Amino acid sequence: MTSLWWWALPVLLLPIWLHRQKRERVRARPLATARFLPRSDPQQQRVWQWVDRFLLLLRCLLLACLIAWLADPVVPWRGDSVLVAAGTDARWAQQQIDAAGFGKASRVDVTGDPLKWFAQREREWLGEARILVVGAVPMPAAQPRFRHRVELQTRPVPFAKTTRRVLIASKRAGEWRSVFAAITIDESAGGKPELVVWDMPEAPPAGLRAPLWWIGDATSFPELKNAKQVGGLRYADSPRGRLWASAAWPPMDAAGARSLFEDWQRLHYAPVAYVAAAQVLEADPGAPIGPGTRALRDMLTMALIALFALERIVTHARKR
Amino acid sequence: MLATPALLAQTNDLDLIIRHVLAGLGHGIHAGRERGAGVEFSEYRAYAPGDEWRRVDWKLLARADRYYVREAERDSHVAVWLWLDATASMAEPSLAMPNVDKLWYARTVLACIAAVAQRQGDAFGLVVLSNGRVNFTPAARGPRQMHRVLAQLSRAEASGQLPPAEMLRASLHFARSPSLVFAVSDFLDLPSPMTEALLRLRHMQHDVRALCLQTRAEVDASFPANKAYRDPEQADGIYGFGPEARAEYRRRRDEHFTALNADWRKHDIRAQMACIEDPVASVLRGWLRQGGRP
Repeated sequence: MTSLWWWALPVLLLPIWLHRQKRERVRARPLATARFLPRSDPQQQRVWQWVDRFLLLLRCLLLACLIAWLADPVVPWRGDSVLVAAGTDARWAQQQIDAAGFGKASRVDVTGDPLKWFAQREREWLGEARILVVGAVPMPAAQPRFRHRVELQTRPVPFAKTTRRVLIASKRAGEWRSVFAAITIDESAGGKPELVVWDMPEAPPAGLRAPLWWIGDATSFPELKNAKQVGGLRYADSPRGRLWASAAWPPMDAAGARSLFEDWQRLHYAPVAYVAAAQVLEADPGAPIGPGTRALRDMLTMALIALFALERIVTHARKR
Repeated sequence: MLATPALLAQTNDLDLIIRHVLAGLGHGIHAGRERGAGVEFSEYRAYAPGDEWRRVDWKLLARADRYYVREAERDSHVAVWLWLDATASMAEPSLAMPNVDKLWYARTVLACIAAVAQRQGDAFGLVVLSNGRVNFTPAARGPRQMHRVLAQLSRAEASGQLPPAEMLRASLHFARSPSLVFAVSDFLDLPSPMTEALLRLRHMQHDVRALCLQTRAEVDASFPANKAYRDPEQADGIYGFGPEARAEYRRRRDEHFTALNADWRKHDIRAQMACIEDPVASVLRGWLRQGGRP
């Protein structure tokens, strides 16, 4: 929609019109014997000339800059490109690129979702450019539409190893530890905990904070007194983080431990995206255009401020 | 070769122009009594820059080790008065020679007359009428006076109008001794303070000679048509000129100059019309011959 602002360019005619000197008296040349000539009326003539040309230039530039700022122009400059999602196996990616005939295309490494990234910047690509997306591309909720031909070559990445830091402060530490028995436990790891298991009557140190607390002994957590309850699990928010408490903890069987672990993973970590199938998205001329990155805006803003200041100064100087 | 004004106007050096114009014209304006500088010795005077070297007394230099100049008794009875009209209308340039205007022509002619007067030992003075004022250089003799007059002539700029008649009348006190008055103007105003003053001088039995300058375009009415013109001495009013106005222009101009000439003839003022495109030397000769010796 922003490109509609270009239709405001005729506004530039306004200063050009206002600076035009409309009429001028016919310039009379001195002639000593003019007294012998018949008198004539002073004549006006239309002239096409502009006054204060520097100011006119400044004002036109100012208006053009403002319109450009509103229209947020993007100059298409990218040709055939390969978008490689972060974490893609380099050799496999090269195979796909060669197979698809994108050997000469420029390569862009994208962190995050390559399709979203492309949708935002699509205006930077030339009209006939083709795009190859390689890597684990998360499947979008709806079929994406682009104005360029986009080829997807996807492969699910093997599940990456993740590390969760858990602090266990409990008199029943052995039982708690057995909850995580199925997971490799590195006892020595330090750092900020993502989960604190607090199963002691003493209050935790004031500086200790974590996104989630599993409370076995609620004596030092007054927030949990009137907490909401879901299936025997009380939960509340405190300045330290979210508190979960249950009378049935630590879980005694494998099923209880798994459901607790799954609840934690589901509610506190983003789901692993489903990788889209390899496919070709044909160019759709009616596809909506992305908003753009607004990369030029900062420069245009500076230019606008400078031009405005100059215009004011010159106008003031002219009046004096 | 008669140099055209366009050629002469290439230089601002009036001395050079005078030498060029006056080559072969040294016989003077009138019959003077004296035979040249230093005929009848009167006194010695300290040398001053600008004096001619040939007037330095070399024997006295050997005796006194100082430069002295022999002053001769000069008793020319005639003073030459140069009148220059330097009002705005005199800035009118020639169409064919853009670097020549009426003021340049008048200045050149008057400088030549001053040189002639100086050569024959006459006193000469200058009156410049410009910008509503009278610029008066008293009459005197000698090379320094020549320099003074040339400087005043060079300094004159065409601007403004003639001074009022009373002011001009008040400055006519100079003309007690018999004098020759050379007046150069365009004489476009008929009852003007300048013509009145010249008539008054004529009534005082001075020899008044007028040179009326005009451009070829004025005579032929050949200035560019379909343009607007204004009078340089009157701020208001625009005048148009086209093919249909040519006859009217000629008629009114002829009327004006017929009346002017009649006026002059009535009062026995010798006048000459000249175009500023004409060679200075021939105009000058014609003007001097016309009035002087028969």
